[in-house]
Amino acid sequence: MPAPSDAASDRSGLRSMHAFARRFADWAAGTEGSSRPSALIRIGLAMLFWSRWAGELLLYMDQSPAGLFLAANFFVATTLLFVGYHSRAAAVWTGAVGLAMYYYFGFELGREPWTHHHTYLLTVAALLIALTPCDRSYSLDRYLAVMRAERAGLPPPAERGNLWGLRLIVVQLSVLYFFAAFDKSNYAFLSGARIEQIFLWFYAGSDYPAGLAWPATMVSVAVVALEYCLALGLPFRATRRYLVLPGLAFHAIIYLTLPVYTFSATMALLYLAYFDADAVSKVLTRLQGTGSTATAKGEIS
Amino acid sequence: MADIISIGTGTEPAGRLSAGRLRLVAFTAIAAFMIAGPAAEQIFGVQSPWLRSWTMFSAIGLGVIDASFETRRPDGALVPLDRFEMLGAPRNGKLKWIQNRDELASVIKRLCTVAGQGADIRVRARLGTRSGWQTIHTDAENACAE
Repeated sequence: MPAPSDAASDRSGLRSMHAFARRFADWAAGTEGSSRPSALIRIGLAMLFWSRWAGELLLYMDQSPAGLFLAANFFVATTLLFVGYHSRAAAVWTGAVGLAMYYYFGFELGREPWTHHHTYLLTVAALLIALTPCDRSYSLDRYLAVMRAERAGLPPPAERGNLWGLRLIVVQLSVLYFFAAFDKSNYAFLSGARIEQIFLWFYAGSDYPAGLAWPATMVSVAVVALEYCLALGLPFRATRRYLVLPGLAFHAIIYLTLPVYTFSATMALLYLAYFDADAVSKVLTRLQGTGSTATAKGEIS
Repeated sequence: MADIISIGTGTEPAGRLSAGRLRLVAFTAIAAFMIAGPAAEQIFGVQSPWLRSWTMFSAIGLGVIDASFETRRPDGALVPLDRFEMLGAPRNGKLKWIQNRDELASVIKRLCTVAGQGADIRVRARLGTRSGWQTIHTDAENACAE
């Protein structure tokens, strides 16, 4: 039989575990907030889908039945996503198009660039944004809802909803950062050799530039350390304030220097999921000059 | 203003709570799938297109060749050899990237031909691999004599 002090300690441990589980459950699935960040992500995702694939999916590019079917679905789904008409269904439709591109056209039919990580990330983001109230702001859905409310003599519906889809985006980004860092946690990368190879591949050709070794090693270590920090620190307000700018700068640098522009822009867009949705909404209201003059300083962190 | 927690307060109707719990179960399942993909491949080595790993840029730069050339002067000193100048090739042309071992051998052969009989050209070359750099040619011997 445990001593009374041990039993008390066990009970206290159980209580704190229960409290932690409760807080996590509330954060994950029980948070309500402004729908505006979700709507901005929805619009941004539609634009990223277009910037990456619209040119490849113009109707004359692949005139096979499957190609035309894909293109028609792509443009209708992403247009609905952009204007926000049946927004959440449009997000599922867009995600389904992305899945078809990734699995069928990419892996089955061998269109290799469509199997890349940016395709998967955009697809997953579209599916996850369907779990948010992305229809309740900046959308045709919102416009129609306001019209209906006005006709009924009711106040406009609230721009709010459950944010569990945004929380899942946060989880996805942390998993992505963690395993990206894990993949680089080896001697070949941390010694700088892999960065040197990438530099030669894109820039220097077969001539190793003098003085590259030390910068390559330092950049390699910094990248791995940053990715671990982003994985574990961005979800928490206390550490997020120190990591957002380094994270965005990291994506801006790889956007400019390597052919990962879709991935980088997607990651930057999805950073909206980290912030307090109501604080983002307050900033947007201030930007539009329609809200209170109270400062939102310190809330977006 | 902070986001508002909407479940778990114990004040909602039973139906609302059930929806919240359902959402939590779905959240856990989706999050588990997100973690399972990279864990399966990157930790346990299971490869499947159905499971997404996050190994971005892991293949870029593999196979790249870093090569440097030197020639021995009559006084015995080794001096850097500019392959572009010697072969009359543009610096941003095809010769900038030596794509593989065969192409390296071809470049060496052309340099030796231009340098003429009795030339002494030393070549250091290494290949980019997943585990770092692998030496594929040392300057221990005259490449033109091989």
